[in-house]
Amino acid sequence: MNNIRNFCIIAHIDHGKSTLADRLLEATGTISKRDMKAQILDSLALERERGITIKLVPVRMDYKANDGKNYILNLIDTPGHVDFAYEVSRSLAACEGALLVVDASQGVEAQTVANAYQAIEQELEILPVINKIDLPSARPDNAKQEISEVVGLDASDALLTSAKTGEGVHEILEAVVKNIPAPAGDVNAPLQALIFDSVYDNYRGVICYVRVMNGTIRTGQNILFMANGITYPVNEVGVFKPGFTPVEKLSAGEVGYITASIKTLAEAQVGDTITDANNPASSALPGYKKVKSVVFCGFYPIERDNYPQLRDALEKLCLNDSAVTYEPESSEALGFGFRCGFLGLLHMDVVRERLRGEYGVELVATAPNVIYEVVKSSGEIIEAHRPSDFPDASEIAEIREPFIKLSVFMPSEFTGRVMQLVQDKRGTYKSMDYITPERVRLVYEMPLSEFIVDFHDKLKSQTRGYASLDYELIGLKASELVKVDILVNGEAADAFSFICHKDAAYNRGHAVVTKLKELIPSQLFEIPIQASIGRRVIVRVNVKALRKDVLAKCYGGDITRKRKLLEKQKEGKKRMKQIGKVAIPQEAFLAFMQVDGESK
Amino acid sequence: MPFCENKCGYCSFYSEAGRFSDVEVWLEALDVEARKYFDDDKIKLRTLYVGGGTPSILTLSQWQKLMRIIAEYFDISTLTEATSEANPNSITPEHVRFLRENNFTRLSLGVQSLNDNELAILGRLHNSRKALSAMELVRKSGLNLSCDLIFGIPGQNLRSWDYSLKRVMNFASHISCYQLTLEPDTPLAKKYGNDELNYSGYKFYRYAQYILPKRNFLQYEISNFSPSGFECQHNLAYWHQDNVIALGPSAVSYVDGVRYANPATLDEYINAAKNNFPDECRTYERLSAHDRNIELIILSLRTKWGVSREIITPEVDAKISAMPEDLFIKTDDRISLSKRGMRLGNAIWSEMI
Repeated sequence: MNNIRNFCIIAHIDHGKSTLADRLLEATGTISKRDMKAQILDSLALERERGITIKLVPVRMDYKANDGKNYILNLIDTPGHVDFAYEVSRSLAACEGALLVVDASQGVEAQTVANAYQAIEQELEILPVINKIDLPSARPDNAKQEISEVVGLDASDALLTSAKTGEGVHEILEAVVKNIPAPAGDVNAPLQALIFDSVYDNYRGVICYVRVMNGTIRTGQNILFMANGITYPVNEVGVFKPGFTPVEKLSAGEVGYITASIKTLAEAQVGDTITDANNPASSALPGYKKVKSVVFCGFYPIERDNYPQLRDALEKLCLNDSAVTYEPESSEALGFGFRCGFLGLLHMDVVRERLRGEYGVELVATAPNVIYEVVKSSGEIIEAHRPSDFPDASEIAEIREPFIKLSVFMPSEFTGRVMQLVQDKRGTYKSMDYITPERVRLVYEMPLSEFIVDFHDKLKSQTRGYASLDYELIGLKASELVKVDILVNGEAADAFSFICHKDAAYNRGHAVVTKLKELIPSQLFEIPIQASIGRRVIVRVNVKALRKDVLAKCYGGDITRKRKLLEKQKEGKKRMKQIGKVAIPQEAFLAFMQVDGESK
Repeated sequence: MPFCENKCGYCSFYSEAGRFSDVEVWLEALDVEARKYFDDDKIKLRTLYVGGGTPSILTLSQWQKLMRIIAEYFDISTLTEATSEANPNSITPEHVRFLRENNFTRLSLGVQSLNDNELAILGRLHNSRKALSAMELVRKSGLNLSCDLIFGIPGQNLRSWDYSLKRVMNFASHISCYQLTLEPDTPLAKKYGNDELNYSGYKFYRYAQYILPKRNFLQYEISNFSPSGFECQHNLAYWHQDNVIALGPSAVSYVDGVRYANPATLDEYINAAKNNFPDECRTYERLSAHDRNIELIILSLRTKWGVSREIITPEVDAKISAMPEDLFIKTDDRISLSKRGMRLGNAIWSEMI
């Protein structure tokens, strides 16, 4: 156990995590340079495409250190995004140490802080690494200063490296051996193995990535998943070489994988503890929780006939991603689809892209939303997923919505604009500090619902892409929210109703009715479109009665032509949704539901 | 009659520009086609309509041949109305005299506008002066004159529309008003698009509905106005679903619930004639009882007499009841469109089916 080192790399996106991992593999001879495809460990095609890494595959490296001894180095990666905060915490729990990688020219960014704090919380040994020192713009001393002032870690001994050129990589390996403690644990105690990740394989079922904390796990053993009480016999035990390589057993301190003919990821959840079914541990490892979706949106096939295809794809995808939830729903505009829950916006994008890229499903995604909690006058508390779940305004005592703590890092020149943006989004100022004279950290609390709509895009455009952000959910808080109903010709049109802060109700109501006025064609009578809160109408516009039409001649051959034209119109009408006497075209619904793909 | 001097920029009907040397071949083919309808008992014609095409480009001898063909295979002694179309650019006193001598009662003149700019935009060969003298010529002949006018022309305004309407009323006993409709494949559509024009037509139409009845031109159909007794009997046959035999390229006939279309071009038509017009050369459409009924309701509603309640199905009746009252004139036994209803005819029909 003394010659094992379990560690991870934590870094802000783009600070060179994947490239550094590649260099470590190369330097230890785990993968020859010849076999090294660029950043081999990024497993999802999507990640390669976007140049971001959500999660690397764990890998085991054999390393002969300067002291002449042989070491086993297990590199366990953490997802680099806040959506996966829970998975990060479980991956960290499998390690004794972490490399904190900071870009030498960009310095500390939002996620650097968040991830470092998690590592500190889990009492990991942290080795600061300043990367990209080969760049002309590199200012390693500045980066060191930021690590010490912003993160609060001593960085005077920070390792300087260029993952690109390979400079300093050897020193990192030496530091890992010297400074990161060997795992502790009792080989003779009852088995406790932490599942820090799991993937689905078509042939072997679920593959659990585990860190054995105590005891030993071996092929044929009956194991118990402590969170859900299911037992399985182990089919295979192995390590990551980086391919799956079977071994006889894994003992305390070791990192590897097990397979046990497990059918679904839900049975082997990240954070769960595996123990010996015949000699169970007295307690599970701490920190397990059930992941809960916080952002929701509808997925609909572009062609209505493709609904079964979407359903199958979601089923398959969920084998690989237990954090996605879905249930069937239907919409006036889009037909049958699914309401899906995600850990966050990036997670939502990843799932959407995977459905397209891996399963070939073209889909429409509706605008994301959150879950509200409504306290009724009677004291009853209900969860409201959509506006139609809200009780009548008179029965509502309080509405609560999820809030986040938001940290934005940016060059100080953008401070004013970002403050304005956050305040427009109902943000409450918490703190501001200067990291360096040129860089500022702003901390705000704001409703998640405001954050998920277009905050990223607006922040990017306000700061020309120079800002980075991080957020964490801080729970539900009461807000002065109202449900705004939209009435078309006096009939409630549920698809257009929405929840918003009472101060924004007029403006948003106005925007909605104006948009509807554009999209609903003139009909044989005047159509009032109103936005109302309860019974109080706050905005009203009218779609004027029809005044235009083509008055074509209609003799002999025209009659057939005319009838075909009318039949075509009738087909078009079928695709409209009737609300009362008014036919509303599909585009109107789409305009309110769809995420604008271009602006993302 | 499939020949024109040139194609107007808005026209999407079939005709050949030029090719006058083929007129004789066409007449021979027409002879073959008409003979197919010949029986020991000749079919008795109630109305005759020569259109197309521009019948006024035919020479007198060609006209004579044409009339000989018709008289040979059909009984024209029963005619109560015979109309020929004509273009102001090509009509001559000789034509008019010929028509009179051959018992024609009406002449339909493609005036379209009496504003020279508008005529130029439409791509017409005549100007307003020529149109006025053509109208004068026809009126003097004693034929009932019908004039076509187009509204919604780019650049048109109510004043020019008023001018055209008033001048035409001085000569004609029947006026057809058509909105400029740009079919996608026409040159004008490519130049102007369609949306804006569709919108701009409404006010002209409403003005026509206002001014024409004041001078006794009553609206008896969506597009047609005339003093009482001067309605075009031939056109009424279409809207009453009467039998119509149509001869010539791309002509469409309706006989006892079957609508059939002739070969679409002159060349195909001439070819079909060589094989004595086999059944395959036409496309047929047999209307189901339901379709016939819906079609009759829609066609009847185009006219001021409207539709008899007897043929209105409960389904259609429910839809009519759901529409605003001011679109209809309802009596105990009939339903017809109000003036506003006529303006919104298309929207009403699409509600109804």
